[in-house]
Amino acid sequence: MALRLATRRLALAQQAPKVFRRGMATPTASDTLAHTKGEPLSTISEATSASRAPIPPSKTTTIKEPETDPQAKIKTFHIYRWNPDEPTSKPKMQSYTLDLNKTGPMMLDALIRIKNEVDPTLTFRRSCREGICGSCAMNIDGVNTLACLCRIPTETAKESRIYPLPHTYVVKDLVPDLTQFYKQYKSIKPYLQRDTPPPDGRENRQSKADRRKLDGLYECILCACCSTSCPSYWWNSEEYLGPAVLLQSYRWIADSRDEKTAARKDALNNSMSLYRCHTILNCSRTCPKGLNPALAIAEIKKSMAFSS
Amino acid sequence: MASTALRPALRQALAASTLSRTFTTAALPAFRSQSLLARQSPLALQRAAFQTSSKRAILPPLPQVMEGTVNDAARVPDPEPSHGSYHWTMERMVGLSLVPLTIAPFAAGSLNPVLDGAFISLLIIHSYVGFQSCITDYFPKWRVPRWRKFFDWANFVMVGIVGWGWYEFETNDVGLTEGIRRVWKAGSKVDVTA
Repeated sequence: MALRLATRRLALAQQAPKVFRRGMATPTASDTLAHTKGEPLSTISEATSASRAPIPPSKTTTIKEPETDPQAKIKTFHIYRWNPDEPTSKPKMQSYTLDLNKTGPMMLDALIRIKNEVDPTLTFRRSCREGICGSCAMNIDGVNTLACLCRIPTETAKESRIYPLPHTYVVKDLVPDLTQFYKQYKSIKPYLQRDTPPPDGRENRQSKADRRKLDGLYECILCACCSTSCPSYWWNSEEYLGPAVLLQSYRWIADSRDEKTAARKDALNNSMSLYRCHTILNCSRTCPKGLNPALAIAEIKKSMAFSS
Repeated sequence: MASTALRPALRQALAASTLSRTFTTAALPAFRSQSLLARQSPLALQRAAFQTSSKRAILPPLPQVMEGTVNDAARVPDPEPSHGSYHWTMERMVGLSLVPLTIAPFAAGSLNPVLDGAFISLLIIHSYVGFQSCITDYFPKWRVPRWRKFFDWANFVMVGIVGWGWYEFETNDVGLTEGIRRVWKAGSKVDVTA
């Protein structure tokens, strides 16, 4: 139907007098053929009749299939998919191909492009797209990192594989369940604890040297990349706190303004919470912010060995 | 607008479906015949199931269980320095003192039985602590309390057995340092040829 309408319109445009070009239903009596005067409708049907021979293809343009760009850098992404709405179907690896020339430089750009243009059901967390929020933590090519800080390797021969954070319960696709992680973070009381008010009644001040002790600790964004890369945390996430939470714990132990340092250390002084760290150092290796949780854990161990 | 946005998805889905169809029909005739076989005789299927080794995970992950609500903090255990900081300090002291005790017999060449005894007892404590650490890692008390108790006691019993064995070796035989000296042949052989 649509095709026939189009051919009619073409025929009309090329052969019928100019007036007809305004529209199909606006005939004017003066421009019609002599023998059909007073019969505008039949004139039109004659002028636009499909029974006329169509314009040969040599006289029309050719609309080609969308050409594949010879410069295209097609890269394959294998992405872990699991849908909780289909609990009987197993998790699967879905492959997607993208032209890197049309994609941003980071893995998150690729994921967003897949979601926008290819498969809207792909699910992942993202927010700031610049490594500040820690939402897009995932396992990319075997390394836990933030998708927004991870460049797409430009060699197209190598295929990229994207999984959710390892050894986490998966909510959907690339979205891990971090409930236990946050509950553990809450258990270390990550806030300033003081009984005495500051001497001048204003702010809790600290020296520049004391402030410098918090560098490398306060930058942690709790993306859980380090904790989920730690084999010890894989086996014992129920009781072992994991590098990220221990780093935060040390951030408050090291704070000169905090007055509950002894209580904080006591909370870690058992066989599971802290001492399941076997200095594997996966945490320091994987941290997308370049922090050193293993050093913080070692500092806690050292301070506990010599004080309590 | 909506249709144009959906079109790539549609195209991809169609491509995927045709691909999978060609894959299953052309590339996997073996699988097809096998499924045919399975339909004909359940015995063949049983044999296939018998032959493929199944995956047996030790302590596979359990379904997610949350203690309390989402907003409750994780439980903080009571402080136990004897299993925490004291234990850790002892462990490191033993490890550190083993270093000079290992080197001393080489440097001094002495066969002091007291030194030998100290070396062996520290070695036993060191390995006991090491195995204990593995047991704590892999047999969580909340999940397999009986196995945990069994392995902890087995580890403890092994300390007694191994200690007794070393005692016999030290008192009735040549002892550790001399034993290693007799086994250590590499250096002397080079001397003979040179």
